[in-house]
Amino acid sequence: MTEKFAKISPFMVDPEPIEKAFQLQDGDFERATSDEKESVVEKHKSISYWRDAGRRFRANTVSMVALFIFILILLFAFLGPALIPYDYAQQYRTAQKLAPGEFSKEEQLVQNVGKHCDGFFATTLQAGSLTAIRKGDYYISADGKTYAFNVSKAIEKAILVYIKDSETPLSVVKMKDVNEDGTWNDSTPIETTDTPAEGATQIKLVKSVFPHVFGTDSAGRDLMARTMFGARVSIIIGIAAALIVLVIGSIYGSISGLAGGTTDFIMMRVVELIYSIPEVLIVLLLQVVLKDPLQAWFDANKTGFVGALGDLGSGIVSIFITFALLYWVTMARIVRGQVLQLKKQEYVTAAVALGASKWRIIRRHLLPNAVGALVITTCLQIPSAIFLESFLSFLGLGVSAPMASLGSLCSDALESITLYPYRLIFPAVILTLIVLTLNLIGDGLRDALDPRLKK
Amino acid sequence: MVSYIVKRILGALGTLLIIMAITFFLMNAIPGSPFLTEKSTPQMIELANKKYGLDQPLLVQFKNYVLNYLRGDLGVSLKMQEGTEVSKIIFGQGKFELSLKLGLLALALAVLIGIPLGCIAAYKRGSWLDGFLRVVTTVGVAIPTFVLATLMLVFFAVQLGWLPVKSNTLPDFKSYIMPVISLSAYYTCYVAKLTRTSMLDAINQDYIRTARAKGVKTSKLVLKHALRNSLIPVVTYLGPVTAGIITGSFVVESTFQIPGLGRYFVQSVLNRDYTVIMATTVILSALVIIMNLVVDLVYRLVDPRITLTTKGD
Repeated sequence: MTEKFAKISPFMVDPEPIEKAFQLQDGDFERATSDEKESVVEKHKSISYWRDAGRRFRANTVSMVALFIFILILLFAFLGPALIPYDYAQQYRTAQKLAPGEFSKEEQLVQNVGKHCDGFFATTLQAGSLTAIRKGDYYISADGKTYAFNVSKAIEKAILVYIKDSETPLSVVKMKDVNEDGTWNDSTPIETTDTPAEGATQIKLVKSVFPHVFGTDSAGRDLMARTMFGARVSIIIGIAAALIVLVIGSIYGSISGLAGGTTDFIMMRVVELIYSIPEVLIVLLLQVVLKDPLQAWFDANKTGFVGALGDLGSGIVSIFITFALLYWVTMARIVRGQVLQLKKQEYVTAAVALGASKWRIIRRHLLPNAVGALVITTCLQIPSAIFLESFLSFLGLGVSAPMASLGSLCSDALESITLYPYRLIFPAVILTLIVLTLNLIGDGLRDALDPRLKK
Repeated sequence: MVSYIVKRILGALGTLLIIMAITFFLMNAIPGSPFLTEKSTPQMIELANKKYGLDQPLLVQFKNYVLNYLRGDLGVSLKMQEGTEVSKIIFGQGKFELSLKLGLLALALAVLIGIPLGCIAAYKRGSWLDGFLRVVTTVGVAIPTFVLATLMLVFFAVQLGWLPVKSNTLPDFKSYIMPVISLSAYYTCYVAKLTRTSMLDAINQDYIRTARAKGVKTSKLVLKHALRNSLIPVVTYLGPVTAGIITGSFVVESTFQIPGLGRYFVQSVLNRDYTVIMATTVILSALVIIMNLVVDLVYRLVDPRITLTTKGD
């Protein structure tokens, strides 16, 4: 008999190990220690539903890549604004209509000055437009030393220049004294002390001007800052609307499915009614109707929850209301379907027999088992809200300036699309990526959470 | 069958009445008067209100709407084309015709391209072609229509000059291309995705294996056995969508400057032209309801096992 044959046939067993296994020794009859017991338990650890789903999700390359990109977009939207010196609402008068990466004339001058010194500061670069260094106490830390000084009168149209190892390292250079190549004809040294005065503001020196990576718009606002902010607004709209739909839809659906009979019939007729409503027109009507009353309500309440809603603006809040009124029906139908299927299961019958209340059954048995379908539908609901907002922005009904959303940025860009196509490209690409990745993540979740659907 | 349809139609009338009520009270909740302009005086507004019966109590106004609609009278426009009959504005000025033409073409594209693409992707599951189609369709449903329409406009009309910038009343073949493609892109991709999923479901069924074992040709297997069973979700989706698509898309019509219904609808809301808003909502809802009924009837054609009842599912 060849070795090859032994490997191929499943019926052939190598006799050696069997004999060895049956040669029992005294040691084999000792009591197992608690460690050994635990190791047996650990070896056969039961895998929970979520762990199993997580493993399936991680095995799905496309969804993992989508998740990674979505996290990058989240970082861009939520951490990004802290990393760039520009603000989404600030208008920089001298920096209008710049192409991506382009500097305004003034910024270019300051940039050139940077080549001739070891660091500079200009309100311009923190705030964008060359205005002034305001009155007050300041200090600068550079090369291990601290330079504190006082500005008694606002310095207009000038920058603060730092030159290492010179007698007076800090000096003020007026912009009118700066030459084209960045050298300057005249400067006023600043007297500095070692200890900053109480309450002094720290100034950070920079070596170059931060570029407008996405360019600026006609009002001189930095488009990257606006895109970051807009992405944040769009994502918040999407998630909040999806949560609203989740709560209303799942409560409505589970009540309908659980009650059955006439209640179910009437509740489902209401769902059908809402399905037949032409949503675009009603959404538009709602937007127009709600705009003024909401604004008045926000103006009357500036604090607390209402105040926070007011910061979002009436456009966004009426989108939430629209979702609460019209868009929960799909979720309700899905939950009802799940409940109808689940309530016939034995464990629900057992719970009923044990005298569990209806609410307890919904909470403990039905919702947890329907959670897969809920997660998937919620995830896929987010893009739909983002789409709706961008459509309303296209009509001029979404968020109002200086607020921005990806939709409003796109629709602003449409006005001058032939001259400045990049203004559309950046927000549109981010918008598309958000919707795309969420769709792919939703697909992955469906495969992971509902293995019955997996083919 | 007949009693089923009659019951459905009666139910639809009730639904329409409720939708009319919702629309009526919503549009009356818009602050201000439709006649309020920079020049108008309170007396002028009062006169106009009297002329169009807007001075009567809301319930009486609503009753009048319902009675007039039962007689087939949609009223006259209050603002945008003051005094013109609404039915004439919607059907008589070529607006509906334009939107219908574009909508039907887009729908045809969605069906004729979307379904075959979905079948191919399902049949070649796991191949590079399937992967490629998956990327294309997923991106297709993720791009907002107005972005796609604008990019096409800038590229093909402005930069290259191949196609007209304004499509107007669709005078020639060239003016159809961009509006139809941008209108149908989303639906085509969605239908393709839907077909692929349900096709995969069908392909894994036992009767397909049986048919294959019997020696049925692959083409016949896909087209006759699998496709027929996988069309139900597609039909369900396309039904209500048809109602929306043939009444015009605001985005496409305003991007390509087509004077269709979609654009007019939106303008009527923004201009508070009450009678036009009401007529639009009722017509659109009626279309959605009719399409849903048609879908239920088509189910029976596609799958004879489905029986029609008025009871809940």
